[in-house]
Amino acid sequence: MQELAVRPEFDFTSEAYKDAYSRINAIVIEGEEEAKNNYIALGKVLPDHQAELEKLAKMEARHKKGFQACGKNLSVTPDMQFAQDYFAALHGNFQTALAADKIVTCFLIQSLIIEAFAIAAYNIYIPVADPFARKITEGVVKDEYLHLNFGEEWLKANFESVKEELEQANKENLPLVWKMLNQVEADAHELGMEKEALVEDFMISYGEALANIGFTTREIMKMSAYGLTAA
Amino acid sequence: MFGLIGHLTSLEHAQRVAQRLGYSEYSDQGLDFWCAAPPQLVDDITVTSATGQTIYGKYVESCFLPEMLSQRRIKAAIRKILNAMAAAQKNGIQITALGGFSSIVFENFSLKNQQRVRDVELDYSRFTTGNTHTAYIICRQVEQAAPKLGIDLSQATVAVCGATGDIGSAVCRWLDRQTDVQDLLLIARNQERLQNLQAELGRGKILGLEEALPQADIVVWVASMPRGVDISQIPLRNPCLLIDGGYPKNLDAKMQQPGVCVLKGGIVEHALDIDWQIMELVNMDVPGRQLFACFAEAMLLEFEQLWTNFSWGRNQITVEKMEQIGTASCKHGFQPLLSF
Repeated sequence: MQELAVRPEFDFTSEAYKDAYSRINAIVIEGEEEAKNNYIALGKVLPDHQAELEKLAKMEARHKKGFQACGKNLSVTPDMQFAQDYFAALHGNFQTALAADKIVTCFLIQSLIIEAFAIAAYNIYIPVADPFARKITEGVVKDEYLHLNFGEEWLKANFESVKEELEQANKENLPLVWKMLNQVEADAHELGMEKEALVEDFMISYGEALANIGFTTREIMKMSAYGLTAA
Repeated sequence: MFGLIGHLTSLEHAQRVAQRLGYSEYSDQGLDFWCAAPPQLVDDITVTSATGQTIYGKYVESCFLPEMLSQRRIKAAIRKILNAMAAAQKNGIQITALGGFSSIVFENFSLKNQQRVRDVELDYSRFTTGNTHTAYIICRQVEQAAPKLGIDLSQATVAVCGATGDIGSAVCRWLDRQTDVQDLLLIARNQERLQNLQAELGRGKILGLEEALPQADIVVWVASMPRGVDISQIPLRNPCLLIDGGYPKNLDAKMQQPGVCVLKGGIVEHALDIDWQIMELVNMDVPGRQLFACFAEAMLLEFEQLWTNFSWGRNQITVEKMEQIGTASCKHGFQPLLSF
């Protein structure tokens, strides 16, 4: 019981680290790009809230630039093709929902899943990041916690009418998250990020959002673990 | 609002409880799943004092399991405790007890250096280990149960296993100052700490487990180990009062010797029913009334509006603080468990 969880030292310049970083960094950049585009798209269907959603889109664009700088700092070229393929299924689901005017599903994908996924990844990354990336990521996380999650608030305000669609959208989309996590397990591990810590942090952030929207603990436990073991 | 951070006693137990509560997503999962599971606020608690005062609390299931320690999933164990604490604080709970292994994990892995958990800066004044009340209750169990077995404290030898721990050292201090116990046998692994304790008390014999137990009229077991220790082959006296204050409480199943009475240590009974589900799940004999004394400490601090980390750090428990929490304990209707 005396053993301590010592922070491992990383060689940020090793080929193995940079190779893994080229994919993880790309995912983060693509994730911010997706977020930006999703908020712009939602602004168009919710004209009353367009200004607010565009502000969010701008924030995500700023974050994307920060993460691009992190890659440059380590002389890593992000593998953007990998990242686009990585997000393809979630991206497709968002576009389908948008085309069908299913705003609730869109918000679940962007404001709950992608946001919680990003926050979890950043939280787990910060303690093992290189000094430059740590500063950038800490700034991003601060931003994420400070701004009111627009989608979360919108869903909360409409809870009774959106509940059913949220549960259905959760079933359709959460298994994709577990698949995505599995896909980068080895790369994340190379960077010092453990899958179980990522899953846990995701479930905490996602669960907090669901609680804020109005779901009960029982519902949250079921929803946030949906499909986890099948993945 | 008070809080209790708890966990279940084994993976198998956790699966059974999840099944019973209808969480199929959790019930057939292995340790990997629990290592990734987030804390949950699973129970609302209402407690009424013997004075009539009513308080409200929440139970936070940390999803920690003792297997995380025995199978060296240390990072997971640490995350469970810190995340549960962050969840308690985020939910505005003013005083939360760290039950079972929670305080042991916190202490042994120096988690006080990890105050930041995501967007929460942990405020340690909102947490208590509950160890002062546990130590007090164990001492009262010694004092009140011994005569029932015909053991006269003034002629009794008391062996304290885990004597240098937070609770063990407090029990030694109390027995030394507040009782006329004839002999104290001090048992622990760390010799330096044992010598320091002996010097502090100015008495007590340092002995190994196998040498000490056969000499003891009363054994206070306050060692907490994820895998436990089998002492069933060590011959004990007849009569012998064995107070099982360790975690998990499993000595009674192992002890089959004549004249050995095992009492669940550090358990209190409340004078009135408590409205909650969770004690049923941890197999208390009278789930509406019996609970861990460490949990009761959070309730006492809430009743007394003493929102502070009453029990904190290692070996800080004084006899005066035990008396203070003991007075509150009696006032609000808690009694040490005395039924064998």
